[in-house]
Amino acid sequence: MTDRPDRNGLSADELAAELRVFLAEHHPGRTPPATVPTAAAERLAFQRTWQATLFDHGWAAPGWPRRWGGMGLPLRLQAVHHREMALARTPVAPSRIGYIVGPSLLAYGTEAQLERFLRPLIRTDELWCQGFSEPDAGSDLASLRTRAVLDGDVYRVTGRKVWTSGAQFADWMLCLARTGPAGSGAAGITALALDMHAPGVNARPLRDMTGGAHFAEVELDDVRVPVAYRVGDENAGWAVARATLGHERSTSLASAGMRYRRVTGDLLELAQRRGRTDDPYDRDALARAVTDARLLEWSGQRVLGRVLEGGEPGPLASVIRLQHALFEQGLHELATDLLGPHAALAASEAHLAAGGKQDGAWLRGFLRTRASTIGAGTAEIQRTTIADKVLGLREVGR
Amino acid sequence: MSAVDVESSAMFVFSDEQNALRATVRRFLAERSPETEVRRLMETETGYDTAVWQLMAGQLGLQGLALPEKFGGSGFGFVDLQIVLEEMGRALLCAPFLSGVVLAANAVLLSGDEAACAQYLPGIAEGGTIAALAVTEASGSWRAGDVTTAATAVVGGYALSGEKLFVPDGHVADLLFVLARTAVGPSLFAVDPAAGGVTREPMGTLDATRKQSRLTFDGARARLIGEDGGAERPLSQTLDLAAAALAAEQAGGARRVLEMAVEYAKVREQFGRPIGSFQAIKHKCADMLLAVESATSAAYAVGWAIDEGSDEVGVLASLAKAFCSEAYTHCTAENIQIHGGIGFTWEHPAHLYFKRAKSTEILFGNPRYHRALLADRLGI
Repeated sequence: MTDRPDRNGLSADELAAELRVFLAEHHPGRTPPATVPTAAAERLAFQRTWQATLFDHGWAAPGWPRRWGGMGLPLRLQAVHHREMALARTPVAPSRIGYIVGPSLLAYGTEAQLERFLRPLIRTDELWCQGFSEPDAGSDLASLRTRAVLDGDVYRVTGRKVWTSGAQFADWMLCLARTGPAGSGAAGITALALDMHAPGVNARPLRDMTGGAHFAEVELDDVRVPVAYRVGDENAGWAVARATLGHERSTSLASAGMRYRRVTGDLLELAQRRGRTDDPYDRDALARAVTDARLLEWSGQRVLGRVLEGGEPGPLASVIRLQHALFEQGLHELATDLLGPHAALAASEAHLAAGGKQDGAWLRGFLRTRASTIGAGTAEIQRTTIADKVLGLREVGR
Repeated sequence: MSAVDVESSAMFVFSDEQNALRATVRRFLAERSPETEVRRLMETETGYDTAVWQLMAGQLGLQGLALPEKFGGSGFGFVDLQIVLEEMGRALLCAPFLSGVVLAANAVLLSGDEAACAQYLPGIAEGGTIAALAVTEASGSWRAGDVTTAATAVVGGYALSGEKLFVPDGHVADLLFVLARTAVGPSLFAVDPAAGGVTREPMGTLDATRKQSRLTFDGARARLIGEDGGAERPLSQTLDLAAAALAAEQAGGARRVLEMAVEYAKVREQFGRPIGSFQAIKHKCADMLLAVESATSAAYAVGWAIDEGSDEVGVLASLAKAFCSEAYTHCTAENIQIHGGIGFTWEHPAHLYFKRAKSTEILFGNPRYHRALLADRLGI
């Protein structure tokens, strides 16, 4: 679509002004929040509609190439884009996993794959999931067992994936499968774009401890994947899985600060509403929460600053994920503390209605954020990675 | 300060000049303030080396770096000063820098008393005057409202009577600035310690690398600086700058002990392998890095706010002082733990940093005090 508006040459102020006009006209969050559906399927549909609106007006995927439906903005303007969206409280991206898969495709996909996959991914006409985790391989991808056997012009894939976010709704999976011999570790893994509607795919929603089903268990029984849908070289899946547009991510890190300020604002509101701002202990805890939120904001800004100067994101980028996970947990623990006896209620309990949906959201978040230090690499894995890669302790390993 | 103001000078990005300043100061301190010198000076009563002090002023211009040009300084920003302080914190420099250049000089500047600035600041900027600021008394409070030292109007000035404690470098200062109460309220005074009525003695301190003293005034002649009864606001602003300065010093010290811990973890072997290969040690080091990076962010966030004249300086100063204090203390304790038995010995420098961390955690109010102040300032 070459008729998409090119906003590349705009100044930051011009871009912000244009985006505000667009948001004023189209932003669904401007209608009362009560209209945002709570049921998973309906919420997804709501978010997809919003994403399609963004795409159709040329406001989706600020850092991705224009050729594939992105905006192709320089980092400086990407940051402005993220900031404005955060300030306007736009709905969250419906397919965050898609946006994690995207960089892998951009870095390793063939021309034909990019042509086939990227536009529908950005518009969320097609949803993606990430088939990495397995029953016996969580953070330890090197020990995954799902096998892909080359048979003419297809790979035949058999195995089982678990904790696969959004798999029950997904159209495609970026699937990691073993093509090398058993015991080949990270070196024997291949990445495939697997059609979730193909014969042999069975995705079963898996309820998590919040009571909701955010991920699924996926059985792969002799699923045929055309060789043309292999992403990257055979046995090079490890690199494909780890591809991230680190620089681009750093711009959204900077805008995350806006969101953190907002949630701590919500927390202070909760404390005030519950009459918990006079006690010195509570005040101390609230001051700590504000501090942690600001620190995350500044960490993001430091990474962005470095990248805007043309440098690498640096060690701080590795630290931020751990910082974020710990922050989310701490924040929700404090919220439940402020809720007092109400924290022992189910998030859906009618008695919470005094606090509106807000209080239920804190309680759901309290449960949900137990996964913050588990998903996408546990906090322990992250600490080990920081020590090994940033502090250089890998070289002293066995 | 806006949160993501990508169009203005990016926060946390240093200019080439600033990087050069850091390198110069680091090199100077490696040469002039190695551990042997720190250990030698902490055993002396004055606690600093006059020759090094003169080189800092004459060769590097550090004392005058962030003071206004019209008062003999070089007019650089607070962030530039923080770069210097971060390096001083790394090296545990023993010198009356925080006391005179940060505390005393800013107290005079913020008093708005142009005549006093013109009289006192050039001497501080050129290194000729060692100055100190005396605020705290037996109550341990840093609030102007709690001051009990009395200032009585006499012919040609005032006479001070009372006791000041925990005064950084007060025993070696050529010039004292003292907070005392007049009939109108808390006010700032200049006192010549060599004149009559002033008794000074060093206090025995936890951290021998930064001396504190006890001052008693018995009818000491004093000159009023700024407005009679108007010291509360300038004092509070001075303490915010001092907190921001200390935060940078703490961040620098914390980064140094993290480096020490990691270096040691790579070479020290136990059970047939370097201790740095054990997950427990790796995770300690990763958490230290998280603390160090966050402390650095907090320190510079307030530094940038000061240079931009932001109205958030008070909020950020308390935030940074509370966070950096705890981060530094945590890192120095972990450094001792990672070093094991050797980390607990007098010969090893780990305890020097641990004591500096603890003493600065308390100076100007402890973390809990500053979080309470932060909550107040946020309007919680």
